[in-house]
Amino acid sequence: MRIQVSRTGGFAGIARHREIDTSGRADAHEWEALAASALTGGREASATGVPDGFSYRITVDGRTVHCADPRLTDAQRALVSRVLKEGA
Amino acid sequence: MQPRSQHESRPVFCTIVPPHVLDKLSQSDDPVLAGPARRTLEADAARRTRRQVTTFVRPTISQEPADDSSGKPDRTLYDCRHGTDLPGTKVRAEGEDPTSDASVNRAYAGLGATFDLLLSVYGRRSIDGNGLPLIGSVHYDEKYNNAFFDGEQMVFGDGDGEIFLDFTVAIDVIAHELAHGLTQYTANLNYYGQSGALNESVSDVFGSLVKQYSLGQTAGQADWLIGAGLLAPRVQGVALRSMKAPGTAYDDDVLGKDPQPASMDDYIHTGEDNGGVHLNSGIPNRAFYLLATALGGSSWERAGQLWFDVLTGGELAVDADFASFARLTVAAARSRFGEGDEVEAVLKAWSEVGVPTA
Repeated sequence: MRIQVSRTGGFAGIARHREIDTSGRADAHEWEALAASALTGGREASATGVPDGFSYRITVDGRTVHCADPRLTDAQRALVSRVLKEGA
Repeated sequence: MQPRSQHESRPVFCTIVPPHVLDKLSQSDDPVLAGPARRTLEADAARRTRRQVTTFVRPTISQEPADDSSGKPDRTLYDCRHGTDLPGTKVRAEGEDPTSDASVNRAYAGLGATFDLLLSVYGRRSIDGNGLPLIGSVHYDEKYNNAFFDGEQMVFGDGDGEIFLDFTVAIDVIAHELAHGLTQYTANLNYYGQSGALNESVSDVFGSLVKQYSLGQTAGQADWLIGAGLLAPRVQGVALRSMKAPGTAYDDDVLGKDPQPASMDDYIHTGEDNGGVHLNSGIPNRAFYLLATALGGSSWERAGQLWFDVLTGGELAVDADFASFARLTVAAARSRFGEGDEVEAVLKAWSEVGVPTA
């Protein structure tokens, strides 16, 4: 499974793009479950969000959802922070 | 969220000397003229405020303003304790002693300084003109590299220490967030494209003005940086943005190079960042810097007053582009100061950044 996260906006307006390929990873199941949960609460259209808030685009195997701070589900927050930290 | 009126009610306000004349006098080099005029303006502002308060019918159960007779902000600070539930745990209310948490105290002071500029200089009582309580939350999430305004309150992260430090360290950043509230209650500029970049720029302008006002700096003395002191020591840069020279605030291996354009020639067309609201804001930011430094003296007096007039005047459309905003600043200069140096300086500032005013 390929999980991509883009974070745009924010006070500094600096974008971050990272992705994780779960194939061959020992924790692949954990990633896949988290990614599936994150997709559930997302919106199809991009969200304008609040002033200076981060906007996120999550793409899992070609399916994309959008969300924005501060209204992220727990799964979305966990996924974006892990992918942005551990992804390449 | 508080209901927000499309057209603010303006109190009937009579005085013998028109406010714009007092403004002119208050800027006079002659202290005999300037002192009394400035005091009168301040007294007028207080009176306008009282009049608004007397006409406000308070619900029987509600949070009481800290001081009915105006003058004082009503701040409450919360601590998210590294979680994301807002507002978090209440840690400091208006009038309470400083806490042992420097982030709380900095946010409290920053909100106070912004309230003070709005009231003392522009006669506006809080961001809604009616004493709205100011709410801030610190320590949002873990190592959170951001600060934002969620429509009701300000939220500050601690930064990760690698790229950004605590977002409360910069008073202009705190004021920037509060100014988003001011915009929301006035022109309510759409947060997308050019109107979004104007929304951002207005927040940078008032952020910088609060910093200059609190430090007692003239336009010539100010650093015109946004977020100075916010970058971690290892980052190559001086701040997040430069109003004086957009595109020069940082150039770093991890952070990249400051992408802001300084004129319309380099306007960035993008779908990211709500159409580049934090990027293209460099253009109106520089126009304000050029105007303020051309006029000299205290930026909040003439340049800031014009921006405040346009933001609160009721003619700025929610989807205004740079050119509409620029035309309104010219009209504001004409109406407040008549034909003269101010109008010329406004026209020149926009011309230098490539925004048409005709």
